[in-house]
Amino acid sequence: MHRSTRTRRLTVTATAGAAALALTLTACGSSDSDDTADSGSSNGDEEITLTVATFNEFGYEDLLTEYEDLNPNITVKQKKAATADEARDALRNSLGANSGASDIEAIEVDWLAEFKQYPDKFADLTSDSVEGRWLDWKTEAATLEDGALIGYGTDIGPEAVCYRADLFEAAGIPSDREGAAEFIGESWDDYFDAGKEFMASSDVPWFDSAGATWQGMINQVQNAYEENDGTIIATENPEVRETYDAVLTAAVDENLSAHLGQWSQDWTDSFQNDGFATMLCPGWMLGVIEGNAAGVEGWDIADTFPGGGGNWGGSYLTVPSQGENVEAAKELADWLTAPEQQMKAFAAKGTFPSQVEALDSEELAAATNPFFNDAPTGEILANRAEAVSVTPFKGPNYFPINTAMADAITRVDVDQTDDADSSWEKFVADVDALG
Amino acid sequence: MTAMPSAPAHVAPRPGNGKPAKRRGSAVRRPGWVTYGILGAFLAGSVFPIYWSYLIGSWDAQVLTRDPMPWWPGGNFFTNAATVIDTIPFWKATMNSFIVSATTAMTTVIFATLAGYAFAKLRFKGKGPLLVFVIATMAVPTQLGVVPLYLVMSKLGWTGSLTAVIVPALVTAFGVFWMTQYMGSAIPDELIEAARVDGASMIRTFWHIGLTAARPAAAMLALFTFIQTWTNFFWPFIVLGPENPTLPVALQQLQAAFFVDYSLVLAGATLATLPLLVLFIFVGRQLVAGIMQGAVKG
Amino acid sequence: MATTTRTPAPARGNTPRKPRRIGFGERFNRWDLKFSPYLYISPFFILFFITGLFPLFYTAFVSVHDWDTIMGQGTYVGMENFQFILSSPDFWKALRNTFSIFLLSSVPQVIIAITLAAVLDQNIRAKTFWRMGVLIPYVVTPVAVALIFSNLFADKFGLVNDMLGTFGIDPVGWHKEVLPSHFAIATMVNFRWTGYNILIFLAAMQAVPRDLYEAAVIDGAGRFRQFFSITVPQLRPTIIFVVITSTIGGLQIFDEPRMFDQFGRGGADGQWQTLTIYLYELGWTQGDFGRASAVAWLLFMLIVLIGIINFAITRRISTSGDKR
Repeated sequence: MHRSTRTRRLTVTATAGAAALALTLTACGSSDSDDTADSGSSNGDEEITLTVATFNEFGYEDLLTEYEDLNPNITVKQKKAATADEARDALRNSLGANSGASDIEAIEVDWLAEFKQYPDKFADLTSDSVEGRWLDWKTEAATLEDGALIGYGTDIGPEAVCYRADLFEAAGIPSDREGAAEFIGESWDDYFDAGKEFMASSDVPWFDSAGATWQGMINQVQNAYEENDGTIIATENPEVRETYDAVLTAAVDENLSAHLGQWSQDWTDSFQNDGFATMLCPGWMLGVIEGNAAGVEGWDIADTFPGGGGNWGGSYLTVPSQGENVEAAKELADWLTAPEQQMKAFAAKGTFPSQVEALDSEELAAATNPFFNDAPTGEILANRAEAVSVTPFKGPNYFPINTAMADAITRVDVDQTDDADSSWEKFVADVDALG
Repeated sequence: MTAMPSAPAHVAPRPGNGKPAKRRGSAVRRPGWVTYGILGAFLAGSVFPIYWSYLIGSWDAQVLTRDPMPWWPGGNFFTNAATVIDTIPFWKATMNSFIVSATTAMTTVIFATLAGYAFAKLRFKGKGPLLVFVIATMAVPTQLGVVPLYLVMSKLGWTGSLTAVIVPALVTAFGVFWMTQYMGSAIPDELIEAARVDGASMIRTFWHIGLTAARPAAAMLALFTFIQTWTNFFWPFIVLGPENPTLPVALQQLQAAFFVDYSLVLAGATLATLPLLVLFIFVGRQLVAGIMQGAVKG
Repeated sequence: MATTTRTPAPARGNTPRKPRRIGFGERFNRWDLKFSPYLYISPFFILFFITGLFPLFYTAFVSVHDWDTIMGQGTYVGMENFQFILSSPDFWKALRNTFSIFLLSSVPQVIIAITLAAVLDQNIRAKTFWRMGVLIPYVVTPVAVALIFSNLFADKFGLVNDMLGTFGIDPVGWHKEVLPSHFAIATMVNFRWTGYNILIFLAAMQAVPRDLYEAAVIDGAGRFRQFFSITVPQLRPTIIFVVITSTIGGLQIFDEPRMFDQFGRGGADGQWQTLTIYLYELGWTQGDFGRASAVAWLLFMLIVLIGIINFAITRRISTSGDKR
């Protein structure tokens, strides 16, 4: 157990996982015979080998074996990269070289738009069999202007707020799930005010880092950095500047932040030291918290998220057009992202489904997590997924602009080498340089 | 200092006449404890980070926050090592590192010996300028040609394969220079002349006389090339994918896993250090001799 | 490097060989004699032209184009990429960082290495043991070194700050402030290379003619005096050699700063972003090979320039006042 916990702890980023969430699920029955799978035999008896490139944990190991059993003429090999960033670089490289890409390539939502710039490099995956399979906003993000679909959704990262019930209690604040959700409130102002109230009777910082909080806030803005036509508006958009000021005022002026860089070693170590009382947690973050905070009791998860719902991360399966077996690859991608299969992946590695049918399933609703005080994490995250109302537009420059913004916030919150204004100026310069 | 061929040669090794000047201070006076104190402190500083790596790697992620922190190794090293091996393609990376290092060590020795032999012992037009050219290339940061080199590799479809790492490292200017220096003083010209008079072909002469004489220097060159390639990061990092890494590239994946569990990361660092550390136990003495021999000024 | 002159010219055959065979054998023989040398040296030159020289010049070609990593060569843009780089504060910051890290690593390294070499250059016991001991860090791969040291230099829970704390010194922001981060990175470089350079200096010291010291002793010079007025001047060529080799490598430093934090970009404010990291970021993260090539070319010229300065200094030193 110890070992498997720690393995999981490395498998972060969006698709990784809330495996703990899945642990309590019973293994899926073998009741589901899938009809799309049969169509795989349309390739005749020709022996083919398909490669699937994923990163972190998609939970596909058993599914791929199952697919091979259903389609005896097909051999499937999985190539796993350790991180999403690495997968991104590798995909860029093989698209540039026009060779070397796998038949199926997994893509993370934050850099999906970047690859949408090269529609010729990917096969159009539009198909009747996948109509209405996913949450609308999930499909929308992978759809090109001409209606072509370049990716099938796998998982999503609906966000809730994780909190330390023991620290809440010590500060004389309601620490049960409902009470905490109410205390945290509905808007970002509520959330920050709650922080001030909490810190009035506690020495522990309210949240871990301004950068992580920023992620939650900016993922609720429709066109934060770019217009739909790709025009960069990041530096003029008043909403961006207001959000920037809001998060930094809360983090620095009101000192609600623990001033930790997310994913830094200090951040990791802080889980053991009562480093902070709350943090925003997409489903895949639960496994991270459990790993980092091993031995710490008191973590719980509140069914709320400031400013409405929010999504952080999630992936797609794409089929690069350079492959030799595009049709067969498309069928496999279709089969893998079908609700039945996604639920098995969820059971295996906790990748939270983006498929409507899977979200409504009883299995999901029944999932609980012992580390988070036996919270009904399946139900909570499904609620959170439903609460997502805004699909942020992420154009080709989203990734670099957001990186520049994360740096800008880090300079003020963590490094404290700049104040909000001077750091903003550097951000503007960085964005201008992208032009 | 990253990928630079760490040239240990200042000027020629001079077997035979390079006898160091007789020790001053004479054999009678032994230095006192201050000397050993300084040396001991430096040695401790050299070894401590490696111990630290093992120390943290043998506990768990929380060890650093414990108060007081333990200074003896915990019992988790093998568990952590197993996790590392599961997380990154460790065996493949080790194998790859070995293949790349051994291949380049071999080819560098072959090509450098051939060229060194020609430069030191054969007559041909343009020899002087060509040798100067070789030496000059040692000062050229060819690493900066990464972009086109990368473009070439992807045109050839070599990105992601070990070929892309091996080919640019088949032979180095440093190797040629080193062998030239050595051959110049190690082989008497009369020997070559005699072989030629006997009617031996050039390659035969090289084979029987050049190669035999070159052995000690060739072994040293192989050793340095092996270590150099094994520890190299920049180019393999760029051109190899996550699928097919060398050891340093795989090690980088551990940290880049976007999440830092330092007991795992340092267990990985320890694992990656072990092979060369073991090698060092066997050849450390020769390595020291090689560096010092190469450094003796003429 | 006047080494070529020391290669003794092969004795010119004073007794012309009698042709032993005629015809093919003879022709082959002559051909063999004439072309074999070129054949032997050709692998190096072919390889160097393909993987060294050609890419360097092609870099210049790429640098004057729009060049997306996926779409390939775009339009000719002239000096635009260079203008962009030279007007970007990131470039100048990276340049500053590169030099700062380089100085922080090479200067103390040379001083410590010479001092330790002098310590080793005594009649100590277990010579081989100590010499091997100082060389151990050389076999640790830089990536591992960087991982270990970035842990030691962690801001909140790092050993170094803990130690400073016991002396009542406030924790240093190793991953936040410019100079401390350079210091930490330079420490990694020094860790790996000081021992190596100790051995080089040690070898050089052992080659210093003994009579110089004897003369000094007669003049009544103490050990420190001897060290500074004999050993150090005699080591000058070796010092220059060490500095030159470390310049070429040091200005291209990548591994250590890359691994200093989990993002590898050189800090949120570019505190420790070096030129090679900047090049990598432009080329492989932002996908702009044109700009990356411009940086490569600028860095290349910088290194060549420094090489020429080095060379000039070396010549001056070796021609003036060298009494050997």
